[in-house]
Order: sequence, then structure tokens, then C-alpha cells
Amino acid sequence: MPLSKLWTIAYRDLGRHRRRSGFTLLAVALGLGLLLTLDGLISGVVADSLANSIRLRTGHVQIRGASFQEDQLSLQSKDLLPNPDELVAKAKALSEVKAAAPVLWSSVILNTIDQSAGLQLMGIDTTSSLYDPIRAGVVAGTWPTPDDREGVLIGRGLADSLGLGVGQKVNLTLVNSDGRPDEGTFTVRGLFSTGIPSYDQSAVFMPLDKAQAFTGASGRASLIMILLNNQNDANKVAAALSGPGVTVLTWSDLNKFFVETMASAMSFYAILDFIVILIVAVIIVNTLLMSVFERFREMGILAALGMKGGQIRVMFLLEAATLGLMGIAVGIIIGVAGVAYLATTGIPIGDKMAAVAGSNFALSATMYGRFDLNSFINLSLATLIVVILASLYPAWYAARLEPVEALRAD
Amino acid sequence: MDAIQIENVSKVYRIGEVETHALKGVSLTMAEGEFTALVGPSGSGKTTLLQLIGCLDKPDQGAVKIKGKDVTRLSANQRADLRREEIGFIFQFFALVPVLNAYENVELPLLLNSVKSSERRERVMELLKAVGLSDRAKHRPDQMSGGEQQRVAIARALAPHPLMVLADEPTANLDTENGKQAMEIMQRLNQETGTAFIFATHDPRVVAFARRVVKLRDGRVDSNGAQA
Repeated sequence: MPLSKLWTIAYRDLGRHRRRSGFTLLAVALGLGLLLTLDGLISGVVADSLANSIRLRTGHVQIRGASFQEDQLSLQSKDLLPNPDELVAKAKALSEVKAAAPVLWSSVILNTIDQSAGLQLMGIDTTSSLYDPIRAGVVAGTWPTPDDREGVLIGRGLADSLGLGVGQKVNLTLVNSDGRPDEGTFTVRGLFSTGIPSYDQSAVFMPLDKAQAFTGASGRASLIMILLNNQNDANKVAAALSGPGVTVLTWSDLNKFFVETMASAMSFYAILDFIVILIVAVIIVNTLLMSVFERFREMGILAALGMKGGQIRVMFLLEAATLGLMGIAVGIIIGVAGVAYLATTGIPIGDKMAAVAGSNFALSATMYGRFDLNSFINLSLATLIVVILASLYPAWYAARLEPVEALRAD
Repeated sequence: MDAIQIENVSKVYRIGEVETHALKGVSLTMAEGEFTALVGPSGSGKTTLLQLIGCLDKPDQGAVKIKGKDVTRLSANQRADLRREEIGFIFQFFALVPVLNAYENVELPLLLNSVKSSERRERVMELLKAVGLSDRAKHRPDQMSGGEQQRVAIARALAPHPLMVLADEPTANLDTENGKQAMEIMQRLNQETGTAFIFATHDPRVVAFARRVVKLRDGRVDSNGAQA
């Protein structure tokens, strides 16, 4: 018997109980739509956080001194790069490199009359395009010039919490390269906002020359930060820039904690996927079993006419597949609508919640979703496979009915 | 050779701890083209006998032979093949597939037998015309009266040119006029096609049409029936 006729019977039978078929379809659609939307949100947040970290904190590639440890932020000469300009020139010579600049990092304490805050000092080349995101985020005052000997740039969130404004004086204290405490008075030249509260509240920028003088680093840099035209060239560029006395790290190495944490989180999320799809499977089994029980006599008639168990099984599998495919189609529409909304409007979580994530997670104050085609394909396929698997028992049950038993049914 | 040979067939049904002896050592033969009624009160075994002839069930003892072949030795799929090719069924509850229209219901056995599309169309229209329903081909069962549904069932039963048509209480859900009409159609088609018709019935209207009456009582053949 042609598959098309079995499909005709299966499809029309779904129409016999429109409400039941409709609600089952809705269950599949809502389940898949929910997972696609959530997946789009998580995908967007993860991608956004990683992108924020790369553009603000790590870059795509970093060249560091072989003994430099980021968690210590040492200013000792042995841990710093003695020839940052040469390394920058070497990096810029590569076609894959978009921007490269030296950075000096140190731990500082910013003091006002009545408050203090532990921050990370960033001594930067203020002319480099590497800092375009921060330059674009200046919300008050001005961006410091390379020869500015007094100006610092702080985050607006930090300024608000410390009661600081443009033009006000602040005291910075640190342990310099000789291991002695040192301090200096600086003027708040400008306030910036990147949209990443954890970043805005933890950093203070000053021109590299001034930072080197202040810390006693004399011409050295903690690292060279490099942005690429294409993130996928990171390994290639890292290999090209490797050499004796330096460590070259890619964005993947520099965001390892974040990437690994997200991977662990995704495995928990996969459990949620499984639970939702399992619920959908149970609904499918229930719907099909009801259909089988209601159609005992019809199965008997078809068997009496000579339809074999295998054909009856295929008929029910087609019924499930049709229901599943229609549900998946509607689910994809719901998912697309959900992700589109999240991608454009997002979910505002506020600065405080975003800052709670800490410096390892460059979370924006608004979470945006993102379309991920692989996710749509994988979840839709998984739903279809589960729907088919769930229909195997009802289909098997219908196929094994003895004609004479089925014909006796009411 | 007789078309159907039933040799010392017994059938016991077990429901829980209760055993019901539906047939007790029944032996019977039927020729091709018969128009035979199996009659008896409820519980006499006529429906069970019909089901065994129709390969819907297997006896606990004895043999059922169709064209000399012992069908009790066949697998479930082989019995399905035999039903598909040689046996048509008519039930008291019409038994049409509710989501298919009249044309599609009659076509169903032909599809199961992989008959070519052009041959199918010709055969279906021929049968619908024979039962007076050419103009109802596109109607579904819920759009037809009981009498019309039973006529579609008759057409469907004859679609694959079967050896026999087995009808279990075919007029039970029909009024007098429709029941008579259905029997007249089956009698005419029996004479025109040579297909045997075997009825399980206690309706005297059906018995009146039968050329042979086999009486059953308590699972045994009471009288083997001359042609009526």
C-alpha cells in the first residue's frame, strides 16, 4: 500500500479530533518555542559577555612577559616587557591585526575624602583604536591626551558611588616597581560607561607615559593587547608572535574560566532541554494511545482487509510525525519571535545585577538574545526524534492487535 | 475441490477462569459461488465459525482449508495476505474507514493489493455503479445513510475479486427496505460474479434469500442445510 495513502489516513485522522490534535500540537510548539527562546537568550548572553571581555579586557591576543601573572599584576622589571614598542610594531606588521598597543596594569587604591576603592590601573596608549569602545563611552568630561600628566578616566558607576565628578581630585595609592608604596593626586578628566557595570566599576585609565612614571615601570609594559580582524586567526597570529622570553595567549586562553564555566552551565541547561522534551514525549504517547484505544475496531477492519501489522505501525508513526512536524513548525515560529524580541529589546537586569557577576563575566546591564541556527536545527531535530520514539509504543500496540479482538471492541 | 473445507474444528474462549466452548468438532464443506446462511441463536458459534473461515482467528483443534490449503498453519502475515486476495468482509456496523470517502473505501483493498491506478479507478467505479452509488463517490461515511454505507461495504468486499465474501449480521442495523435492498444487491452480485457469500445471521430476511442454510446450536452443526 503506498505510503501516501497511509499518510492520508493518518493526516485526516488528526482532523477527526481537532481539539485534541490542536492541544498536542500546541504542547510540542510551546515546548520547542520555549527552549529555542531560552537557548537564544543564553546564547546571546554568552556571546555578548565573551565579546565584551575581548573588546574591553583581553583582546584577541596578548603578548606578556614569560613570568607575568595576571592575578598578581607585578610591576617588577623581570615580569614586564622591556621592549613594548618593538612588539607592537611586530604585531602591526601582520595583516590579520586590526590594532595593537602596550598596556601597563597595576593594582591601586583610589581615595576620596571619605571613601576608597580598590581598582585596576590601566596605563594605555590613548591614541590607539584599541580603546575606541571606551572612547565612545565617555559620558562626561574628555578623553585624556597622551601627554596629560594629571588626568584619569573613571567609570560613571564608580564616580556615582564615590560621589565624584569631572574636575574633582582623587588620590591613587599603589606599591611601585621598587616595592615601595607611592601615591599621587590626579584629576578626574572624564567619566565613561561601557554598559558593563563590573568593568566600569573596577578600572581607572591614565595615559601610558604617566602610568609608567607613576609606577616606576620606566618604559615597560605589562602586556601588548592585540585586536584582530577575524577572531578565528588568533592561533595563527599567536604562533607568529611567539618567541623567547614572552608568552603569547589567545582570547580562548584568556577567557578560559568563563568558557569552562559556561560549558558547565550549558550541561545543566541540557538537562532542562531533556525534561521539557520528555514532557512533550509523554503528551504525544498519551494522545496516540487515546487514538489507538478509540480506533480498536478500525484497526480490526484494516487488518481484516489484509493490512499488515507493519503498515498499521507506519500509519501511527506517520500520525505522530505529522503532529510533530506541525508542532515543530509552530515552535520555530514562536522561537524566532521570542529570540527576535530578545535580540532587539532584551531583558534589562540593571547595573547592580550585572555587576554581581564579577570581573570574569563581562555582563551587560541588558541581556540580549541571539539567533543560533545550529541551536534551531539541533533542538528541532531532537524534538522530532523524541516524538517519533515516543510514538513507537502506541504504534507497536496498535500493530499487534489481533483482528478478532479488535473487531469485538465497541 | 471444495472452496472451503472445515474439518473437525473446535474453538474455546478463555476469559479469566471461565471457558466457553464456541465450536465443538464442526465439519463442513462449501463450494465456490455458494449463497449460504449460518443460522442459530446467540452463542451458537456462527460468528466464530465465520471468523475462522475468514482467517481472522485460528481454531484450537481441527483444520480450515481454503482451496485445499490449510490456513491454520499460516503465519499472521500469510493469513493477512490471504484475506487481502481471497476474502471480503461485511460487518453489521458497516465498518468503513471514517476518514475516507466512498471511493477511497472501495479502493482500499485494491491499494493493499498493489493494483495499478487505472485499473483501480475502473474497478471502483464499476462497483459503485453496481451498488447504485456512483453519485456518492466523494461522500464520507458520516454523510451517508446506513443503507448507503452498507452498500459501500458490499462494493469494498468485492473489490479484489475475492473467492468469498463473509457477512456477519449484514442487515442488523438496517431497516426493512434497506436490508432487502442490500440482500438483493448481494444476491445479484453472487450470480454475476460467482463469488461465494456466507452470512452469519439470525435475521429471517437474510435466511429467505439464502440458497443453503446451515443451522448451528451450542457450537455444533445441527443441520448441514440443503440449498434453500
